[in-house]
Amino acid sequence: MNFSPDSKVLVQGITEQLGAGYAALMKDYGTNVVAGVSPGHGGQQLEGIPIFDLVEEAAYRLGAIDTTIIFVPPYEVLDAALEAIAAGIPQIIIITPGMPPLDMVKLVRKAEATDTLVVGPNCPGIIVPGKVLLGTHPTQVYTPGAVGLISSTGTLTYEVAMELTNAGFGQSIGVGIGNDAIVGSSFPQWLQMLDEDEQTQAIVLVGETGGYGGEETAARYIAEAIDKPVVAYLAGQLAPQKRRRGHAGTLIATKLSAKETKPGINAIDFEPAARKIEAFKQGKIPLADRPSDLVKLLKKALKSASKK
Amino acid sequence: MDLLEYQAKALFRDMGIPVLPSERIYHPKDLKGLTIPYPVVLKSQVPTGGRGKAGGIKFAENTIDAVAAAQTIFQLPIVGEYPEVVLAEAKYNADQEFYLAVVLDTGARRPLLLGSRVGGIDAEAAMEQMQLVVVDQEFSPFYARRLALKMGLQGGLIQAVSNIVQKMYQLFVQKDLDLVEINPLGVSATGQVMALDGKVTLNDDALGRHSDLVILATKNAHCRSSARDLSANAEPLRLVQLEGNIGLLCNGGALTMTTLDLIYKAGGMPANFVNVGGDAQAGWIPAAICSQIERGLELIAKDASVRVLLVNAIGSLVAGDRLAAAIASFWQRRSRDPQAGELQAIVRLVASDPDRAKALLESLPVTVVESLDEAVDRAISLAN
Repeated sequence: MNFSPDSKVLVQGITEQLGAGYAALMKDYGTNVVAGVSPGHGGQQLEGIPIFDLVEEAAYRLGAIDTTIIFVPPYEVLDAALEAIAAGIPQIIIITPGMPPLDMVKLVRKAEATDTLVVGPNCPGIIVPGKVLLGTHPTQVYTPGAVGLISSTGTLTYEVAMELTNAGFGQSIGVGIGNDAIVGSSFPQWLQMLDEDEQTQAIVLVGETGGYGGEETAARYIAEAIDKPVVAYLAGQLAPQKRRRGHAGTLIATKLSAKETKPGINAIDFEPAARKIEAFKQGKIPLADRPSDLVKLLKKALKSASKK
Repeated sequence: MDLLEYQAKALFRDMGIPVLPSERIYHPKDLKGLTIPYPVVLKSQVPTGGRGKAGGIKFAENTIDAVAAAQTIFQLPIVGEYPEVVLAEAKYNADQEFYLAVVLDTGARRPLLLGSRVGGIDAEAAMEQMQLVVVDQEFSPFYARRLALKMGLQGGLIQAVSNIVQKMYQLFVQKDLDLVEINPLGVSATGQVMALDGKVTLNDDALGRHSDLVILATKNAHCRSSARDLSANAEPLRLVQLEGNIGLLCNGGALTMTTLDLIYKAGGMPANFVNVGGDAQAGWIPAAICSQIERGLELIAKDASVRVLLVNAIGSLVAGDRLAAAIASFWQRRSRDPQAGELQAIVRLVASDPDRAKALLESLPVTVVESLDEAVDRAISLAN
């Protein structure tokens, strides 16, 4: 991965309202936003950022681009991402929510074949505090430091960053992987990267008890493969679960993979919350009661890690 | 959202998946003009499983029996749902019944083909024998044949079943579905196959590019309102009703759940909540978010059991003073309403320009706090 401050960043959908707003915020933070792409707006500028009609045009004029951040409407995301891959961009961050999952299937296949990193969709992207903003994180809640923050949530990520910052724990990176049925990069992928990252001493993982089961896999992966201290918080321990919008497939697949044979393929009563919490307990990963408790757990985990 | 059986079967028919001749019945007397020869099966069209066990499927040998059976089915709620339509279908003599489905495997991030030689109402037995094939690259019919062989099929049945699976997959991809299921797939003594029941689950995010499916869904009572919302492509502002005295307005699903968790853990009870959407949602732009917040606050405060209003919002694109202005505007309108009861408010905003936001909020009868823990503590002590 290359998230250095001088790496070249493109914004696709820069004339969309969110694209324009966040392009300006990213540039303010020092991100090297070299160009925007928005078909029909080629030749214009936004906050001094040149706009092109095609990604390959931007790449031709400005040299190899490291990361693109996509803000285009949901049904145009697949095309925008494929255009970025065709132009040789190795890192894609998709902020847009509401992308159809079968579009993601196509994108993931292409990304695997071309060794492209895809973050999102429906995510806040990445921040390396003090260096670079590649997404929608509010910069004022972050401060440089040694805690790697990985989250499948949106605004809760910021809440946790703020608790860490207020307690004097700066962050090496903040990553929102997204919480859609299919996301480009997973918890295990980021855990692995941060385990190897020299700037990161400890990892905070933030997820949900509802949703797609990525947290359970993460818990098993941490127990098996991660050497650095990890502490976690899961939202929705007591709150009523928000009803997932029809993802029958997820439920069946999860059910099969768990080798459960309880009633009705048609009427699956699937309660992931208890299973997810149990997975963290089994893996002996400290689970915080509330975001502010992460700080206490982190101190404890760092202390016992330094004794080893 | 799930389509009804007759709608799923219409999609099957278009795709070339064999289904039995059938007619839709809106009233028992419609059966007098039935053109399908007896005996027939009458099936309640409700969007839930377990119809057979609940008595929603009946056989009839003649018109008199059929009218009586239809009357019973129209009066029979299944998991609280009455059918608007009953499907009259030719009877089929199946020698064997299989289970087939295409779904999305979110772990593998690929479509998954499922097949079991034990189909029908015994889902437990179907599960035990379930075979899986992950479609890891571009689909080609060999994936379907791989499933047929894993199911232990031989001879002509390999081709017959894999043909069906292939068409199910095409339907799945063409219509952007979450699930295509045939259970049971009837297999006759001569090796003919027939989709005897079908289930199709639509993907909400993809509905905007399938106007034909939106039209289908709006015909069903159970998904009428959500289908309309989705086709309008606007995330509706939804008030979730609970049973306490604290009303919560928050942005983002996980942050909302966290705030509710903290209220419960501290012994408080939320009355209701509105999630105005995370900061990457299309609505989180200055023009839209302020009216969302105002409308959300109004929805929350309309509930007379709300004694304390808690606002918790974090974002970067919309400046704090814009958010504060939306709260102020709600408050001003409320102060002019003679019917408005007493309401206390705790506001916690994390946004740019915090000082201007604070100055604005200080002119209102609200308590401004910095941290989430403090916001929850203050809200609960006010609520008690």
